[in-house]
Amino acid sequence: MFGGIRLFFIGIIISAVIGAGAYVMKLQRDNVILKENAVKLESAISEQKQVIENQKKDFAEILEANKKITALVNNLKKDLDDLDKRFNKGERDIGKLAIERTGAIERIINKGSENAKRCIEIASGSPLTEQEKNATKKSEINPECPSIANPSYVPY
Amino acid sequence: MLILATFLTSCSGVKQLSIFKEEVKRQELNLDKPTPLQLEQIKWIIITSENAAEVFKKMEEQGLDPVLFGLTDNDYQLIAKNFAQIRNQLKITNDILDKYKDYYEPKKEEKK
Repeated sequence: MFGGIRLFFIGIIISAVIGAGAYVMKLQRDNVILKENAVKLESAISEQKQVIENQKKDFAEILEANKKITALVNNLKKDLDDLDKRFNKGERDIGKLAIERTGAIERIINKGSENAKRCIEIASGSPLTEQEKNATKKSEINPECPSIANPSYVPY
Repeated sequence: MLILATFLTSCSGVKQLSIFKEEVKRQELNLDKPTPLQLEQIKWIIITSENAAEVFKKMEEQGLDPVLFGLTDNDYQLIAKNFAQIRNQLKITNDILDKYKDYYEPKKEEKK
């Protein structure tokens, strides 16, 4: 009887020791995983910071691109307004002028047509010539589209 | 007791974090830009009631058919403005295309 009780308690103690050992081992395993998780989280935070930095750069790029396109649209609109003004400046009537000074207007129109042709070529991606790039005077520019043909020209 | 201890220690462990971060980038489109236009030069002839005979005579002398496709002065202005608008649209579209390409397909050294 006494021997049976003793065996029972020994059994309990052995179970408790084994359970405690298993628990400690589990804690160690958890600890390793937690450390790995911490490293992963730190790395994720650092990557997120990089993502935020990249997003900031992207936003700056988008703003800059928008600004450039808006400036281009405004400059091209100005070129178009200038063309309109050239036809209708003051009381100018190009029809009457053509009757009075047929040869001169024909030359002007043909020169304008040549300039307009070049503008379309530039708009389609044709590279600017050195002469076009360096033009700064009114006499040197392409008056049909100075905003795209003569980047150095500042209207005066 | 042993079984109970095993159950208690093994069932509710700390889960390992899995972070999926592999990004597979799309292949770049890399279409070539269209070749810039090279347009033909056209010649405008102004014809009035006074110079019409002279103009046709000159054309015949030059071996051209004595026929002209005409525009009034107003329509000439309109065609000039139409071409200017087409040119502007072409320029804006081309520039927008360039900006998209720069943004989505930056050159290797600019890549983040």
